[in-house]
Amino acid sequence: MTQQLYLYEPKISEVLRNVKKVMVGKEETALLSVVALLAKGHVLLEDVPGVGKTMLVRTLAKSLDCDFKRIQFTPDLLPSDVTGVSIYNPKEMEFEFRPGPILGNIVLADEINRTSPKTQSALLEGMEESSITVEGSPVPLKEPFFVMATQNPIEYEGTYPLPEAQLDRFLLKLNMGYPTVQQEIEMLNRTSGEHPLALVSAVLTKDELVEIQNKVTDVYVDATVQRYIVEIVTATRKHSGVYLGVSPRGSIALMKAAKAYAYIHDRDYVIPDDVKFLAPHVLPHRIILTSESKFEGFTPEGITKNILEEISVPVKRDTHE
Amino acid sequence: MMQGLSQDHKQFYYQLVIYLCGFLLFWEWLRPLEKITDTENIGIFIIFAAFCFFISALQISWWMGMPLKLIGLIFILDGLFIYNSLFSLDWFIVVYRQLVYNFQMIQAQNWWGMTPFFRSLLFLLLLWLMSYLLYYWFVVAKRLFVFVLMTFIFITVVDTFTVYDGKWAIVRIFIISLVALGITNFSKEMETEEIPLKGVSKIRRLILPLFGMILLSTIVGYAAPKPDPKWADPVPYIENAIGGGGKVVQKVGYGEDDTRLGGSFIQDETPVFQAAAQGERYWRIESKNHYTGKGWENTLEPEIEIVQDGNLNLKTYEKEVKTEERYTIVNFTPDANIDKLVYPYGAGDLESYPEQFELHSNQTNGMVETFVGNNPRQIPGYKMKFDDPSFEYDQLRNADGEDPDYIKDVYLQLPETLPNRVRNLAAQITEGEENRYDAAKAVESYFSANGFEYATKDVPVPEENQDYVDQFLFESQRGYCDNFSTSMVVLLRAADIPARWVKGFTGGERTEETVILDDDETYNFYQVTNGNAHSWVEVYFPEVGWVPFEPTQGFSNPTDFYIDFEESGNTNSEETAPQPETENEQSTGQPENFMEDMEEASGGMSAANDESNRWFYIGIITAVLLVGLILYVTRLRWISAYLLKKYKRQTDSGTYHQAYNHLLKVLDKKVLARKSNVTLREYARAIDQHFQSNEMRVLTHHYERALYRNEDQPEQWKKVTELWENLIRKALS
Repeated sequence: MTQQLYLYEPKISEVLRNVKKVMVGKEETALLSVVALLAKGHVLLEDVPGVGKTMLVRTLAKSLDCDFKRIQFTPDLLPSDVTGVSIYNPKEMEFEFRPGPILGNIVLADEINRTSPKTQSALLEGMEESSITVEGSPVPLKEPFFVMATQNPIEYEGTYPLPEAQLDRFLLKLNMGYPTVQQEIEMLNRTSGEHPLALVSAVLTKDELVEIQNKVTDVYVDATVQRYIVEIVTATRKHSGVYLGVSPRGSIALMKAAKAYAYIHDRDYVIPDDVKFLAPHVLPHRIILTSESKFEGFTPEGITKNILEEISVPVKRDTHE
Repeated sequence: MMQGLSQDHKQFYYQLVIYLCGFLLFWEWLRPLEKITDTENIGIFIIFAAFCFFISALQISWWMGMPLKLIGLIFILDGLFIYNSLFSLDWFIVVYRQLVYNFQMIQAQNWWGMTPFFRSLLFLLLLWLMSYLLYYWFVVAKRLFVFVLMTFIFITVVDTFTVYDGKWAIVRIFIISLVALGITNFSKEMETEEIPLKGVSKIRRLILPLFGMILLSTIVGYAAPKPDPKWADPVPYIENAIGGGGKVVQKVGYGEDDTRLGGSFIQDETPVFQAAAQGERYWRIESKNHYTGKGWENTLEPEIEIVQDGNLNLKTYEKEVKTEERYTIVNFTPDANIDKLVYPYGAGDLESYPEQFELHSNQTNGMVETFVGNNPRQIPGYKMKFDDPSFEYDQLRNADGEDPDYIKDVYLQLPETLPNRVRNLAAQITEGEENRYDAAKAVESYFSANGFEYATKDVPVPEENQDYVDQFLFESQRGYCDNFSTSMVVLLRAADIPARWVKGFTGGERTEETVILDDDETYNFYQVTNGNAHSWVEVYFPEVGWVPFEPTQGFSNPTDFYIDFEESGNTNSEETAPQPETENEQSTGQPENFMEDMEEASGGMSAANDESNRWFYIGIITAVLLVGLILYVTRLRWISAYLLKKYKRQTDSGTYHQAYNHLLKVLDKKVLARKSNVTLREYARAIDQHFQSNEMRVLTHHYERALYRNEDQPEQWKKVTELWENLIRKALS
């Protein structure tokens, strides 16, 4: 990114530096993950196995001094394996709740599409409501609560793809991508010696994180920028190749993400660049194409890109209203 | 994105309509040529313009369009000017010679020396150029407003300064421009709001209200009452500035500037005032003393008296003259723009007038200006007592005393440039006349006796080194009151008779309204219009004073002379002017005569072939278009220079926004086009890369705060003014 003129917020910049120590060439994914974290959203990482999805999450968790939990989703996993169960304690003569992994701060839901929809929904409920239901009574989740789910691309065998309508529970959907040759050689070099993860230390406490999350909501979004967001989102609904465009929830998501992104860049207001940068990560997984346009080779990513090229950026005071 | 072919078709038809509107507007530029100049070939020019527009509208590539237009151009030039067969050797020789000759003329800056062939060529090229320009303006840039505005201005200017009547042209332009602007707006709106053009019904839903609106506003606009002009006719002033080249046509009416007389005028029946009178009488405003060879000036030091108790003290004759006490009421039409009194001969006391008015009476020329505070204002009306003079023939005839010195000093003035033949003629006319009255009468009747013609059209303006009176007496022998009255004054002065030139209004038309005034007499109201503006002559008689004379053909002197003599050989009807009552009948005949004159004159007009006149207007159009074009092409430069000055002074946040947006526009045009999907930051980066600096990024960073953070900090703008200035300069250099 060529934004030398505009620096990151100091704390966040340290978090990102930690990621850089461990990962090679994944700065953008790390940056976007932090965006989701600050915007109180969740991330879906979609890529083939072995490109460093888990490592990224673990590095983030370690930098943040947060309670890190991991759920490895398997076909036989039960909802209670996610939420936790009440177990009879003979000494106390009563049932005692043993919290499941979802009651951590940062939850890595590995290969989420390998488990049954029932178990998936247990996690998704938590992501949506910030609380879960255990044996009929609600249990609030911890704060901060940040889920990074990973999934293999759906054309692989033995998976339960997430329902499209539930995909928009995730603020961002990211792809890791393969490293370049240069980066991969660098990675090989790093494997010798101590594991770099051991070098990572926490730079942000839990309370600091919550405070930052609250500050992010105060970032100012001008009416001109809001209009820009809405224009982009409504364009997805009007596109002829789209069966279902981005919902208003998508507009809110885009704005929340843009606020976080602005905060990371040490700004207390959102500029169209933020929106333009984030839209390809916030919008595509909320777009459902018609079968014709799928057949013609359109992708949600391509359509988002087209729309961004067509919508004009607001560069003067809005005189419309 | 995935629109069908029909969308393209619609786009094409839409552009066609817009472009057609462009052509119709352009046509309005050519129409005046047809009316005010020789009309022989203008149709061909219009056809060529239409042809050029048509070729452009087809949107064929330039290598097909250019030759087609060129062929059209050659074809027209060949048909008009070259008699050799097309493309023969002689033909080429003729064209070559024409071009060489005209380029020589241009080099010698002898603009009038250019041949019609070459001027037509230039004009055709201009039409060609306009077809391109309008295509760009209307279809590509979709910016109609500038041209629409220019068209309006052009028509109003032509309407004001020429005989061209722009009344319907304005209505046509109004409709065309509303259609064009409306359609463009729809199309822009549909683009921005992304309303897909589906089905005829939707278009109909948009277009029908548009046409409804246009129809409605046209009808309302046409039917609504319109106020009279708010400022005085600027024609004389500008005419003066131009220097009276070419033939100038003006509207009739009272004006103050008479330094350049001559030229045609058109009739204007706008009411000026109503006055109560018994019979038609002349309404005097002022006199002028100094003849320049081109017109009249007042060179006397004004002796201003502020009128007290309504006592005007404006008697132009001595006590010996027999008078009769009469009254009058004058009511000005609002906005007639005459901030002076009009008064009959013998004006005495103002009996009543609005109190807030202060009257400044100039004793040297009899002009009474009306003021409110220090500002000249038209007085709404007043009532006046006056002593109506009657001049006894014998008294005039025997008035052979010595003229006072000041009269001789002032009212015998003639310019040194006055040709001798005028003096000779004066001597010839007055030869054998024994007294001043008979001499004056001889001059007065010289015009009618020698076939001088009353005309308002095709009246020439004297050339630079030509005398106005000389031209009238010896060359044109046609003209209107100014010609006759000025000539009479000059002839009298040449014959050593003191005389002066008087301005005012003739009696006007009698209305049905009557009023009974203090003397228990019934007075009729007379409606006086701009068309009654008039000039006549006053001759000085020792012991009598100034006596009015009327040399103009078709006008009669309403002044009362005793009718106890019958001897003058040149006597005509007006000399034995009957009493006011009977005179009415005669005066009602006058307007008819006048109208006949008008018609006759206009008939002669259209037949006339005044080449220079035509090129004069083509020149004006070309100049206006060229100036418009130059202003348009260089607009970024001069707008920037202007804004730079303006923005340096202002500090409010609105300035900031305007300034930055202007910078964007300049950079977009001159340095690097900005696509609408490019953010400010991205654009700033590209600009900085281009200039190898970081100024745009810094400026943009500040502007972002103002725009996206809605920050209203004037000092921000102060900080970056220099950056802004640098960038503008860099972009324009």
